[in-house]
Amino acid sequence: MEILNVSNLKKTYTTRLGGNHVHALKDVTFSVEQGEYVAIMGESGSGKTTLLNLLAALDKPTSGKIILDGNELSSVKERSLATFRRNNLGFVFQEFNLLDTFSLKDNILLPLVLSGTLVKDMETRLAPIVQSLGIDEILSKFPYEVSGGQKQRAAVARALITNPKLILADEPTGALDSASSADLLRVFEQVNKTGQTILMVTHSTDAASHADRILFIRDGVVFHQIYRGESSNEELYKKISDTLTMLRTGGERK
Amino acid sequence: MKTGFFSKIAVENLRKNTRLYIPRILAEAGLLGCFYILLTLALDSRLSEALGGSYLKIFMMMGTVIIGLLSFILILYINRFLMKQRKSEYGLYNVLGMEKRHIIRILFCESLYTSIISVIAGVIFGILFYKLSSLLICRLLRAEIVAGFYYLNIVTVIIPILIFAVLDLLAFFVSCVAIYRLKPVELLKAKQAGEKEPKIKWIMLILGVLCIGVGYYISLTTQSPLEALMLFFAAVLLVIVGTYFLFITGTTFVLKCLKKNKKYYYYKKHMPAVSGLLFRMKHNAVGLASIAILATGVLVMISTTVSLYSGADDTVNTHYPQHLYLSVNLKNGNEVASVPSDRLEEIVRKSADANGLEIKSVTGEKSLTVSYLMQDGRLLTKTEVSGGYDMENLTNVVYITEDTYSRLTGKRLSIDPQEIAFCRIITASYHIGDTPTSLTIGGEKYHIKEQLDYFPVDVSSGMIVNTFGIVVSDEDILSGIYLAQKEAYGEFASEYADRIGVSFTDEQAAFANGKALEKDITEKIRSLPYGELQYNLDTKWEALHNILDMYGTFLFLGILLGFVCLFSTVLIIYYKQISEGYEDRERFQIMEKIGMEQHEVRKTIGSQIRLQMFLPLVTAAVHMVFVFPILLKLLNILMLSNTMLFVICTVITFAVFACVYTAVYFMTSKIYYKIVH
Repeated sequence: MEILNVSNLKKTYTTRLGGNHVHALKDVTFSVEQGEYVAIMGESGSGKTTLLNLLAALDKPTSGKIILDGNELSSVKERSLATFRRNNLGFVFQEFNLLDTFSLKDNILLPLVLSGTLVKDMETRLAPIVQSLGIDEILSKFPYEVSGGQKQRAAVARALITNPKLILADEPTGALDSASSADLLRVFEQVNKTGQTILMVTHSTDAASHADRILFIRDGVVFHQIYRGESSNEELYKKISDTLTMLRTGGERK
Repeated sequence: MKTGFFSKIAVENLRKNTRLYIPRILAEAGLLGCFYILLTLALDSRLSEALGGSYLKIFMMMGTVIIGLLSFILILYINRFLMKQRKSEYGLYNVLGMEKRHIIRILFCESLYTSIISVIAGVIFGILFYKLSSLLICRLLRAEIVAGFYYLNIVTVIIPILIFAVLDLLAFFVSCVAIYRLKPVELLKAKQAGEKEPKIKWIMLILGVLCIGVGYYISLTTQSPLEALMLFFAAVLLVIVGTYFLFITGTTFVLKCLKKNKKYYYYKKHMPAVSGLLFRMKHNAVGLASIAILATGVLVMISTTVSLYSGADDTVNTHYPQHLYLSVNLKNGNEVASVPSDRLEEIVRKSADANGLEIKSVTGEKSLTVSYLMQDGRLLTKTEVSGGYDMENLTNVVYITEDTYSRLTGKRLSIDPQEIAFCRIITASYHIGDTPTSLTIGGEKYHIKEQLDYFPVDVSSGMIVNTFGIVVSDEDILSGIYLAQKEAYGEFASEYADRIGVSFTDEQAAFANGKALEKDITEKIRSLPYGELQYNLDTKWEALHNILDMYGTFLFLGILLGFVCLFSTVLIIYYKQISEGYEDRERFQIMEKIGMEQHEVRKTIGSQIRLQMFLPLVTAAVHMVFVFPILLKLLNILMLSNTMLFVICTVITFAVFACVYTAVYFMTSKIYYKIVH
């Protein structure tokens, strides 16, 4: 089943004094199946972040459509956008974005509190998630008291707790050391195995090599994509590096 | 690098940070202006001549010192705040390759320019408002306005400039220390550090509750003005300490309790607010407690001085039912005797005629005032008391005969020789208990036939001592009492006071010719052929002049200091809002990313800020309610007994203050939202 469909997405920024148009996204079309784990790769300035902002409904496309689970994003009213985002999307950011005034537990529960969930239900939802992420021991700690890896796990727990249709991860390993990165990628795989759809934007070949499919964006278009097929992580890693080398040396589209 | 380069950067920095520096300059200029005004009022000889005021000088000097201290605290507070806000800017210079001594040169230029601007503005402000102030003083003291109040004294200009220059220099040195401690690497990390959730400091919490409790208890239970005077400052100190303690840890305690209640805490509107406030209060407790105390100070100062001043006429009218009182005692060796009242009346009549004043009525009153110690319904002289004695039991008794009483009031009491009529005139200490049914004086027991509400003889001695008025049946009893105290006290014994009270038909004329009349009477008394004499001439106009002199000066100082406190409060609120804004920006953005709607974020943050900002105002109101009883007792000492007037003044002052506070809050919160977005 298709959970996300992006067709002919275009985003043009106009500089403040008019005149200059910057085409961040020219024409992006792709779709994501339910339960798929997709990585999006691209150089800085390729339009990755713009794409993510559009998917998260933080920004509006110039033209084109985004359909999430049958709902077109542009048809969601401005007022209920935040609620829509909260109920359908889970976010994992590079900088964790945990509130330093909340304990990890409160940070994880925040989306539920915002949705007005009963305290009883919160506890029942929290327990399995934090257990599977291995952070049940440190729930009462504050963000500044735990390591980066643990912070990111808490952020993943926060993203999962609303049972979102899609998890959007923006460079989730960007601020982590290699051990924590590997750890987090295992967590993502494990989460994906339970049927959770994940869309991850990343620079890291290693991170991307854990995905089912990798989209490459260059100059505002989907330039290329690789399916995992039957390859192992290591084989996929090789393929991704080759593709990146090709992209960098300016090769033509296959 | 050339000096011009640094000064250019400094000017550019000041221009970029007008939001921070303009209030600082205004603050310093305002404080310097007030300092100048008070100092000049104290030293302006022409003004004190015109007013003949003796209180003016001393109170203005006191005010000057207070403003000086306040400036010291406030300017260092602002300076610390500015340094905190601009730390990263200076850190950046350091990273970009400037040495610390270069940064200090920039800082020096910045300080120098702000200082020069502030000082010049302050002096101009002071000189401009000096005329207004001196006019206001004249108006308040009901003195004639003397032309040419453009008073300029080089001393009163130089002193404030020097003092504030030193203050600025001090602030500069403090900043230098901060710059030397600056580590640019830390600056880059500082934002991420995070901080611990505040803990409940139990000892401080208990102490805080105790301090406030005891302070309030003192205010509520103190009965006598004498005790009020002694305990007032203790109560104030306790409440100040308690306020600080409770703001620091009491708020944490309440919020933590709320957090423990899961049903309450895990709710959309409560969770961000409670945990946000927990951290906010940690940062702001001291500042907010200061606002609360300053606010209370403003309220107390303005409401008391306004009610004292506006009650001045009332006070004089109650204490001076007639216009002029005169008594003369002759001293002949050890014998002291009063000049009889018909003799005094004759003198006053002659002088009044000479000054064209018509006398409406003359009353003669012969009274005797004796000090006793009151013990179990007995009035004891010194010889009757064994061992030490307690000041609390000291009691003055004013005796008159029934004859005098009925002449002064027109009422007959018809008391027997074994009876007296009794009146509490001043109750300074309630240790003496309820009014007994009988009193023993010099071994004789007298039955109290009647309690009087009003005693016709004025005893305004200016002393806060228990004072009773007693009406005895006749002259024989009075002389018995006189002789008994004469024996007990010897040369310190009291004498009869033979006094006449005179009313004039035309009060205005009497007030206008008062001085001449007094002079005339004095000359006539001096020329009496009796040798050594003491006379006491007490007039209503003189009393009014004195009271206006004192309360007018109080009021002026109250208004000025009240304004300065209000201004300081405004300034602290302003800087608080700015620093909060910068701190909250990030939190704001995260909440939006997680799926809180913008208007919701705005609402929760708005409610936190409101709660935080209005807590001091509420605290001030509560303090006012509890401090009210003791203030009332203190005002009694100052002869204001009109409770209603004081209530009205307090309520109006609070209303005005609350309006200004709210207006300032809304203005500054606009700046806050601008920063956050």
